[in-house]
Amino acid sequence: MIRLAFDIGGTFTDFVLQDYKTQKSYFLKISSTPSNPEMAVLSGLNQLIKKAKMTLADVDAILHATTIATNAVLERKGASTALITTKGFRDVLIIGRQKRYETYDLYINKPRPLVERKNIFEVLERTDYDGSISTPLDTASVDEAVKKIIELNVASVAISLIHSYANPSHEDVIRDTILRRAPQLSVSVSSEISPKLREYERTNTAVANAYVQPILDRYIARLESALAKKGFKNDLFIMQSNGGLVSPKIARHYPIRVVESGPAAGVLMGGVVGERVGEKHIITFDMGGTTAKLGAVDNGRPAISPTFEIGHVQFKKGSGLPINVPSVELIEIGAGGGSIASVNMGIISIGPESAGANPGPICYGLGGKHPTVTDANVILGYISPDGFNSGKIKLDVERARLEMETQIAKPLNLSLERAAWGVHAVATKNMENALRIVSIERGRDPRKYSMVAFGGAGPLHASRLAKEIGIPKVIIPFAAGLGSAIGLLEAQPKIDMSTTELVNIKGFAYSRIAEIFDELEQRIKKDLDRLGVKGDCEVIRQASMRYVGQGFEIPVDLPSGYIGPSYNSLIKSAFENAYLKKHKFLDADAEIEGLDWTLIATITNNIDSHNNNDHNTAHFASLNDQRSRPVWFPEMDDFIDTRTIDRRALPVDKILTGPALVEDADCTTLVLPNDTVRKHKLGHLIIEIHPDKLSEGRK
Amino acid sequence: MSDKQLDPVTVTVIWNTLLSIAEELGTTLRHTAFSEGVREGDDFSTAIFDSNAMMVAQGNFSPGHLGAMPSCVKHALSYFPPETLAPGDSILLNDSFLGSGHFPDTFQIMPVFNKKKLVGFVACSAHQIDMGGAAPGSQKVQGVTEAYQEGLRLLPVRFVKKGDIDEDILRVILGNVRVPEKVRGDLLAQHTANLSAAARLSKLFDDYGLKIVKRAYEFILDRSEQAMRKALSLVPKGKYSFDDYLDDYGPGTMPVKMAVDITFDGLGGVEIDFSRSSDAVPAAINSYINYTRAYALFAIKVFCDAKDPQTEGAMRPITIKAREGSFFNPSFPAPSGGRAILQIRIFDTINGALSQALPKKAMGAFSHWSNPNIGGIDDRTKKQFVMYDLSLAGYGGRYGEDGPEALSPVMNCTNIPIEVHESLNPIRINCLELLQDSGGAGQWRGGCGLRKDIELLNSTAVLSHLADRHKFPPYGVFDGKAGRLAETLLIRGNKKKALPSKGVEDLQEGDILSFRLSGAGGYGPPNRRDQDAIKRDIENGYISVEAAKRDYNWS
Repeated sequence: MIRLAFDIGGTFTDFVLQDYKTQKSYFLKISSTPSNPEMAVLSGLNQLIKKAKMTLADVDAILHATTIATNAVLERKGASTALITTKGFRDVLIIGRQKRYETYDLYINKPRPLVERKNIFEVLERTDYDGSISTPLDTASVDEAVKKIIELNVASVAISLIHSYANPSHEDVIRDTILRRAPQLSVSVSSEISPKLREYERTNTAVANAYVQPILDRYIARLESALAKKGFKNDLFIMQSNGGLVSPKIARHYPIRVVESGPAAGVLMGGVVGERVGEKHIITFDMGGTTAKLGAVDNGRPAISPTFEIGHVQFKKGSGLPINVPSVELIEIGAGGGSIASVNMGIISIGPESAGANPGPICYGLGGKHPTVTDANVILGYISPDGFNSGKIKLDVERARLEMETQIAKPLNLSLERAAWGVHAVATKNMENALRIVSIERGRDPRKYSMVAFGGAGPLHASRLAKEIGIPKVIIPFAAGLGSAIGLLEAQPKIDMSTTELVNIKGFAYSRIAEIFDELEQRIKKDLDRLGVKGDCEVIRQASMRYVGQGFEIPVDLPSGYIGPSYNSLIKSAFENAYLKKHKFLDADAEIEGLDWTLIATITNNIDSHNNNDHNTAHFASLNDQRSRPVWFPEMDDFIDTRTIDRRALPVDKILTGPALVEDADCTTLVLPNDTVRKHKLGHLIIEIHPDKLSEGRK
Repeated sequence: MSDKQLDPVTVTVIWNTLLSIAEELGTTLRHTAFSEGVREGDDFSTAIFDSNAMMVAQGNFSPGHLGAMPSCVKHALSYFPPETLAPGDSILLNDSFLGSGHFPDTFQIMPVFNKKKLVGFVACSAHQIDMGGAAPGSQKVQGVTEAYQEGLRLLPVRFVKKGDIDEDILRVILGNVRVPEKVRGDLLAQHTANLSAAARLSKLFDDYGLKIVKRAYEFILDRSEQAMRKALSLVPKGKYSFDDYLDDYGPGTMPVKMAVDITFDGLGGVEIDFSRSSDAVPAAINSYINYTRAYALFAIKVFCDAKDPQTEGAMRPITIKAREGSFFNPSFPAPSGGRAILQIRIFDTINGALSQALPKKAMGAFSHWSNPNIGGIDDRTKKQFVMYDLSLAGYGGRYGEDGPEALSPVMNCTNIPIEVHESLNPIRINCLELLQDSGGAGQWRGGCGLRKDIELLNSTAVLSHLADRHKFPPYGVFDGKAGRLAETLLIRGNKKKALPSKGVEDLQEGDILSFRLSGAGGYGPPNRRDQDAIKRDIENGYISVEAAKRDYNWS
């Protein structure tokens, strides 16, 4: 079995090829070609295949994550789109939910809708909250709207009517009318894409699907035919935001489901690496140039949230477009290596402005003028002054020191080193606050979790972060910079279906719930047929639930098995467990209700369950070759000579005690004093955090 | 204290932790709350105090509680001296004068202990959907002449004793409100949220020790004061005044004068004086000084770009005054339930004055909002229902750009989805749309007004209306035009009746209430508007060709 994965990111496209028979892996990282993404893909595939001495015909499956749909939305470069809605509600999409993402700023604007007002058309009809029809669909108004849309010459149409989640019949009629008159149009129907309560979010999800559909459709078609030309005959899979794979057919139908595919692959990778080294509860920490992303894997399963936003402004909640699609649960904050540090009111603030890749940090010598987290790390000795990418990029340490001195140290009356340490520590603190949300606030006890850290800057900050919050173990995966692509290799096909119906958990609730899950099962079967994959199908039930009267729900895993009269009490205790974990408080007298009902089908058993890497087959330098450099530690308030080791030179299972630096081609792992590190046989570094909390900076 | 004694890294970390606790407290409250005001409207607030009741951090939630939060712990302590407080206690109050100006806002204040020593307080306030009184929602304006008619008034009481909620107090409260399940849920949500914040605050003292945290607090208060003074000192020295009028304080009453005089001393101090405004009125719409202060502070923060974290220190350079007994500083028992309608108008008035000092920061007046409560007995369940609604429309034109359409104005709320309203209440919403030609013309156009039609599907109900700008339209600035006036119609069969902005109305099945908000004011002379912008507005239906001809000489 040979699987090949690639992840197209904004800057790089990463490739991994894994031969499960010979237990060999091959890696490649090349620059992305954003205007024509499949160009980088094809050139990378050629190189990788050559490296592995194979042809594409030998490959059993190709797995793919892409940001094409995301970028189309971010840059507003999607297809020209029209929207059909209920008479009286033309402006639902423009009105949105109306909250400012910044309370004390009245000069901001809302996210620009993906459809202009002139392209929104109304039809006369009305469905009520219980699914009953209070105004039948006026077909003349449908004909009129469709006629206008055809004249507009748009590529895509979304249909979203009030309460369509409760009764999709009017939306179905409109879709059929459009497809009859204009079969060339892409049509996205809200009751199919996101059959959930709350008109704005549902409409926006349908519109976003419509907006990216023609683009993703063309891209996948081009990719499939290019792969076929190169002799690939087997399955291509696309990663969804929920961490599961789907066939190109489904991705083309529901492109909005693949929007977060890259980050999903990252979280998935965290879970897989954790499992390989025997950990089931994982916090994933991915720190790159502009942001840090935190996710979670609970008991081997990536945590999923039912909605997410595209296009945040400075990572502020509510500043993007809400999308009702299950997505890996991620918190993203503006703290990356390129985040800019400044002094304000006598304290250090970091980001969210980033120097990005260009001009980048001062030490890159590309014209960066503001000190960044990376500059601080260079000054502190955490990053080698010899640069990275195997010495291809040299660093201008002096320039970084000079600017850190004038812009941070002097205004705060600090030594240069303490100023740089301050930048490092505050960046870590900001991430700690985000980590608190992911862990403690969401009911995850950090002491029971391990952190998998990756991305260019993740392995440098991970130990400090873990120590602060009480996570006892940090794992730095092999090829930490290629994390997402490796995650893809391990992904399974997965389909989820959900629907909204308010059910109070009492009386005959169980029989209605049984019906709901039956209906979902019927729908999911259709998609599984479309997926066309063999294997065991594992089905999980979930619901979003709350106390009657609350406005926010919490996700609850429901018991599997037969749904009979006792199911009410099973649901109740499942809810109470989840609620208590999150809020540490129960209201014994309150009634409970479920709102969204979800069925998740995962296909398992179609790949081998273990693998190995080729990391230790090469010829490596011995430990005796280790070098050292001065590295600053707040514990000592000084530089101390610290050994630096090439990860490849580290013998498997030998335990080293920090301080130490373990270097890879594109990242450095910082091991703090008293912590220990060892290399797992699969190449992952495992750092045990010393239990005594250090009191750096608190003297 | 000199800064040298305290490491800037430590103080940064402590400050960020305080802000994150205040933020987390709000998130928990929103997610566990029952009432629409809290969970959808974000009508709540959170804060952290030191052991001397000084506010050291405030969550970024409703600005309406900016005025009350800093003093709420001091008020609570005047009833419960620190030595009488024990771990697990929590104090509850909703008094209009002590709190944020009307009974629905309940405050819960929890002392925080570390190693058995009182080290500070966490507090949160939340808008309860009903506190009893004359009409559903406790915000009825018309005919309410003293606070005793507005529902249950709680001077500070020990609501939680050593971890146990006082069931007697709870019973008194729930016996006086229309929707006891929701009020109970929200009171518990407040308590739940305080609990985890208190634990985190205590841990901060574990981590850093009393001495360091106290010194960090001093630093935080001083630095935020300095930052505010610096921001204020950049405003040109002088006195800036502006007058505007509220429609009235109920059907058949006179307009209320809203007048402000703002004096910047050029040295980092500012005085905002509302004394020239009307006297307090015998209707539930007076603005207690805490409320006046809240929105005056908000306006100053917006205009002076003072985005730094809110603390009591940042408020020291700002003096907010209003003549005692006036509309903006009434004395108990002045009624005040409907004061929420004033928040935009307080901002508008200050905006009018500061447009003279900071023209590029000024904007046309907001298109205002409506906040009606429709309540009655639901025929289907035989239980009380209260439909609390918010309609929010456009911003005034701003320097360099049009006012955004349908964005929450001064207070920062989300709307309540149509589908949520309809699944909870016996009503149907027949339309929600922007009103063509309602935005004030200008070089930069004001946002459109908004129309929302609500049909009653129940045999009877009562409307307590709360709106404004039915008589005095949102003004434009620098020759920008005013927005179109608001109107509220009751459509019964073929008959249309115009309703006053603050009246009470009996409704019957099939009635349609049509709320039509005013448009926002424009900025700059219409003849300087960009031709492409006019074309775009016509294409998208924001303005008609006729209006374009009339307002912009479009051809």
